[in-house]
Amino acid sequence: MTPVALFTTAIALGLIVLSGGAYGVLYGAGSLRSSRRLLRAGYVCYAGQLLLVLAVCVAAPLAIVWKSFLVLSGIAYGFIPPITWRLLQALHHSNEPQP
Amino acid sequence: MYRSQRLALRYFTAAIVLFGVMTAAGLLSATYYIQPSLLYNVFDFHMAKIVHINTLVIWLLMGFIGAVYWFLPQELEREVVGIRLAEILFYVFCAAVAVVAAVFLFVQYGGSNQFSMWFINQGRKYVEAPRWAAAGIVVVVLTFVFNVVATAVRARRMTGILWVLMLDLVPLSVLYLDAFPQITNMSHDLYWWWWLVHMWVEATWEVLIGCLMAWSLMELLGTSRRIVETWLYIEVMLVLGTGILGLGHHYFWIGTPQYWLSIGGFFSALEPLPLLGMVVHAVYDAGTHHMHTTNRPAFYWVLAEAFGNFIGAGVFGFMMTLPQINLFSHGTQWTVSHGHFAFWGAYGCGVIAIIYLVLQRTREAQVLESHAWKWSFGLLNLGLIGMVGGLLVAGIAQAIYERAEGGSTLQAFVVASESSWFHSGMYARLAFGVVFALGYLTLVYDLLTIGRRVPIVATTQVASA
Amino acid sequence: MDIQDPKFWRAGAISSTVVMLIVLAFLTIDSLEAIRAGGRQVPNYDVINQRIGYAYDWSRRLDVPVIGPTEPLFGKSYSLAEATAQIRLGKLVIQSRACMDCHTFFGNGAYYGPDLTKAWLDPAWSQIWMPMTGARTRADAMVLFLMHPERYPTWTRRMPNLGLSEDEARSLVAYLKWMSAVDANGFPENFGLIHSRD
Repeated sequence: MTPVALFTTAIALGLIVLSGGAYGVLYGAGSLRSSRRLLRAGYVCYAGQLLLVLAVCVAAPLAIVWKSFLVLSGIAYGFIPPITWRLLQALHHSNEPQP
Repeated sequence: MYRSQRLALRYFTAAIVLFGVMTAAGLLSATYYIQPSLLYNVFDFHMAKIVHINTLVIWLLMGFIGAVYWFLPQELEREVVGIRLAEILFYVFCAAVAVVAAVFLFVQYGGSNQFSMWFINQGRKYVEAPRWAAAGIVVVVLTFVFNVVATAVRARRMTGILWVLMLDLVPLSVLYLDAFPQITNMSHDLYWWWWLVHMWVEATWEVLIGCLMAWSLMELLGTSRRIVETWLYIEVMLVLGTGILGLGHHYFWIGTPQYWLSIGGFFSALEPLPLLGMVVHAVYDAGTHHMHTTNRPAFYWVLAEAFGNFIGAGVFGFMMTLPQINLFSHGTQWTVSHGHFAFWGAYGCGVIAIIYLVLQRTREAQVLESHAWKWSFGLLNLGLIGMVGGLLVAGIAQAIYERAEGGSTLQAFVVASESSWFHSGMYARLAFGVVFALGYLTLVYDLLTIGRRVPIVATTQVASA
Repeated sequence: MDIQDPKFWRAGAISSTVVMLIVLAFLTIDSLEAIRAGGRQVPNYDVINQRIGYAYDWSRRLDVPVIGPTEPLFGKSYSLAEATAQIRLGKLVIQSRACMDCHTFFGNGAYYGPDLTKAWLDPAWSQIWMPMTGARTRADAMVLFLMHPERYPTWTRRMPNLGLSEDEARSLVAYLKWMSAVDANGFPENFGLIHSRD
């Protein structure tokens, strides 16, 4: 791995997780406030995350196994916020006293 | 107040004092990088670092123990069994810490013999304390475990949170036995040492703070037990499901078989996923309460915990966890940046949150509010982020100049350490370390004074039960 | 399968923990065998009687130690028992002086001083310290440096004097030589771009 590849790959990997986090936060905030704007911003962050995954797959000197793993992770990141949100809603609503 | 809760307050006091010692030792350690001749052959870097990292472990442990002593009698609605012994051992614990610190300051190291191992310095990172002190910690921890288990048995009650905590305390205690052996083979030594370090901070401590956060959320936001328990089980499943084999990310380069590169890299790369779930959960909790609570400092520190954990452990960890990257980042200031951010986010913020929660009860403040908490929150987090940023820049410079380009010789190490990026990083780290220290002083002021005066009630509303 | 039931997630927590621990147990048994002195990744202590090199292995695509012909340490050939005693003392020195709180070993420790994994192979010994100390061999130069680092500084960051006896310093050198022969899966990469000649 060249020094430049080391630097750019590491930064890209960090940004992949960070953009996943931003997506999670914006998705949550958007769902809370029923704000399409915030939800859209969240999806933009997720799209950014997928682009970063693609960039790493194209340009980073990693073996195909690792690139496949990154792609699968990227897909998984997409599901985590909505699934977590639905689970939290279900948990809290099922805990509310029934009329 | 239960006696156990009074003991908790003593543990919190000791924890905050040691937090201060840790910060001072950290500032000193950082200064050597700027002024290498400082205290040469009088008190060198390695001793300052030993004080820094040992007080780190002890202040957090004391925070955890204090938190359990606070919540346990509430959970079981009775006084803790064996509390008298625990009270005595608290003072013994503090005295032992003081003696160990004095030996580190004034004796520092001994000859290459078992006497040194037993009474002066064991020289293994985080567990440098001599064996007699390690034995003392075992006694304190075993008593603590006894307190928890015996109280549950006597109360004839069990809750989900308590089950998880008790089951977690077993490996947490047993793993500490690695503080004792003196193993000749470095690979073998490091293999077990990582069981202690990783399985503490990336497994058992995560579960422990999860239990403490569960209790905290019940008090802070009135969240139901069923919800926090469900979430705790999910957390344990995901954190241990990824973290147990994530231990392998410490086994890339210590002489262990090559399959650890794949196994460790894979599971370690999964570790941020549960942390993302925690962030979403934090947003949910914050949002459904419209950021309103009667204890804003505790609430904000809990949020800092979720986000700090995600960024410090998740983002920074993921940056360097793939073995292809780690080959170059390993053993550089890059690791230091990740370590500082992760420890702070995962544990430091959590302990501070719990202390604020407790203070609301002890000071009987309907609303816990002040100006100083915001300053300390800002200064501590800004200071930490600045330090971590400086260390990241320095670490990347090292990874590139020392490892990738230089081939990791002494010459390469010097070239990297003399680079302007590295220097800038070290100056930034020290400067923001001072900011962090100011935040600590403000925190101490606030902890001493908050809730003692009429609270500021202008914009806060009482949280729904 | 009610995801709102805590018991469902409790079962998940227990099963995932147990499965991972079982896998870890198996991997530990194999790893401990590989890393024991004389195992497949870690040579026995009498490797200090051999020349140690470091070269790229194309089949594994990483740098690996190369155990060469006989190369006595301090002009002596150590029996396994003698070598073991030296290494044992060396590790006690490392721990009693808390070397790991300035240096790294296999990249683990502190980052104020350089990594020592391949320090035995560092060109600086022959290119800087042998002339500086007047020692005839790399090992002798290392001993002189370790006993009096304050006399032989090469940089603004200096190693303190840790009160090492000659025996302790020799045992440390033996330890560093043994450690450089451990297969650390290519860490550190590309060590020593400048070749040293002893």
